[in-house]
Amino acid sequence: MKALFLGNVAVDTYEGIKGELPSALECAIVNDPVDRSLLPGAAADADILVSNRWLADFPPAPKFRLVQSVATGVELFHMASLPKGCAVCNAFGHETAIAEYVVMAMLALHHRFFQISGEFRERGSWATSWVQSGVPHGEVRGTTLGIVGYGRVGREVARRAAPFGCHILAANRSPRDKDGDVERIYPMTALDEMLPQCDTVAICTALGPETMGLIDARRLGMMKPGAFLINIARGQVIDEDPLFAALSGGRLGGAAIDVWWQYPSPTEPNRRGSGQPFHELPNVIVTPHNSGWTGGMVRRRWDEIADNIGRFCRGDSLINLVTTS
Amino acid sequence: MKVSFVGNFGARPEVAKTILGKVMEKIEPTILFDIGDTQRLIPALADAEIVVSHIWKKDFPEAPHLKFLQSPAAGLDLIDLPSLRRGVTVCNVDGHEQAIAEYCLMTMLALSHKLVDIATAFKESSNWSGGGAGGGPLHGEILGQTVGIIGYGKIGREVAKRAASFGCTVVAANRSPVADKGDATEIYPLVELDRMLPRCDVVVIAAGLGPETRNLIDAGRLALMKPTALLVNIGRALIIDEEAVFNALKDNKIGGAALDVWWRYPSPAEPNARPSNFAFHELPNVLMTPHCSSATDGARDRRLSGIAGNIDRYVRGETLRNVVLTT
Repeated sequence: MKALFLGNVAVDTYEGIKGELPSALECAIVNDPVDRSLLPGAAADADILVSNRWLADFPPAPKFRLVQSVATGVELFHMASLPKGCAVCNAFGHETAIAEYVVMAMLALHHRFFQISGEFRERGSWATSWVQSGVPHGEVRGTTLGIVGYGRVGREVARRAAPFGCHILAANRSPRDKDGDVERIYPMTALDEMLPQCDTVAICTALGPETMGLIDARRLGMMKPGAFLINIARGQVIDEDPLFAALSGGRLGGAAIDVWWQYPSPTEPNRRGSGQPFHELPNVIVTPHNSGWTGGMVRRRWDEIADNIGRFCRGDSLINLVTTS
Repeated sequence: MKVSFVGNFGARPEVAKTILGKVMEKIEPTILFDIGDTQRLIPALADAEIVVSHIWKKDFPEAPHLKFLQSPAAGLDLIDLPSLRRGVTVCNVDGHEQAIAEYCLMTMLALSHKLVDIATAFKESSNWSGGGAGGGPLHGEILGQTVGIIGYGKIGREVAKRAASFGCTVVAANRSPVADKGDATEIYPLVELDRMLPRCDVVVIAAGLGPETRNLIDAGRLALMKPTALLVNIGRALIIDEEAVFNALKDNKIGGAALDVWWRYPSPAEPNARPSNFAFHELPNVLMTPHCSSATDGARDRRLSGIAGNIDRYVRGETLRNVVLTT
């Protein structure tokens, strides 16, 4: 049995789990694109691929039977280039870290944390203090949080937000049972009913045909004036230009954006995440798609990947099966 | 019933006027912002049965009719209790505990996730390190961390409730015995704080300032903390030794801190006074805010409604809420 670990994340994964892998498993480590020349040989006889991608122009890989993604999204695996009947599995372990980010961002936006702490650090301004009779900032208690996409991340967000005394609503593509932490779960087709009620909207949905451009100018216009938007899903769920207009024009109170419409490349490593200057807006918290990138997430994800490779080698049923090519 | 609103907190227009707007019973209010104005302070205290003030100085004039002193703050450290006549009921306020608990969770999350560093680097130079393309430095999370709360009162309990839902283990230290542990798994007597500190990934100071807590977190206790531990102070600055914590943070003997309460405060002459003699604002592992963790719209509304309710209760002869002591 042979496994191919392809790409820098898979290389790190290999280093993290090599002690847990079956001893009979032969592993080829290819740090694509650095070692691209090694790929044809390694792909030719590998049974298992561990990577975050398999592109259409990659060399033949006739023996793949397990494709284990090192991430949750599998959109970079070109299914037609995989042999028929190959199991494609993803990995989680990020949902709790991302849920922490969502609640953190919600708190920071309502409390105007970046503005207040920045002014205090840079200029010694006490203007927001009770000592100086400052204008109060917000709190999340009693506000309504709407979670768009009530999957693993969304449920973890709800669990953490509930003890703050938030009202929690959710919208989900497939119907879900009402959950202890959520007052109401709308079908995604009824999203327009949910949005006007929310003080904070957290986008936690996967990117797909139903969610591409879901939050467009019309829906942004339905949100409460001054509401906050948090996106940890994929940039394309929100329309870029109308979001910028709503934030720069003061229609929305602010946003925390972790996922982007464009990404860096080897030739442009500091490429901005958007054609619009979101980074210049004082009411926007910007992070480089790393809401889930915690030490705990990596350990949990490695454990899942090692577990699944072991299952495959033993012929046991797999976890986290997304599809079969 | 004569009620005097005194000092730069209780007599502040949006405090006094808001309370007066909520009081149902008939009262005769006097509002005096500047306690240095002795000419006006003498009559303001001479007749008042109720005084709303966060401050009471040794040299305050006689208040022979005073029965009820309502502080608009939680801490009574600016009230010189021995100068009050006998039989005065002193009340503080609540309603801020939920706002402060939100601040505690926000800052422990922000410190663990390195939010400010990451967001600033991304904002300023589009630095994708640790993100986007995958790989790169990892940050922390609070799942599975041990949070130690010093002072397990209303604020401490609200912190515990929220931290527990994040999968933190919560422990606490309290001066007096605690009957109901709430969301904490273990309560240490404050005298055994040294046993609790080495366990904690996050230490939250939610205690009031008093003889037992003044300078409680000194160089010796900072050294008992984990080298990665985070310190959140929303109590009073004087609970921590200023120089010792500055050095511990500067030399990375602890992981980081979020400080909302300070050793120095602004004055009319120095409105932008730095909050310490030490340059905390130059340390990258410190989050700092100007004593505003409780300054939320909701907390102000709850506090001022609570004060108005207490004035009404006093006038009607009902039991007061938030009684701290009777002199």
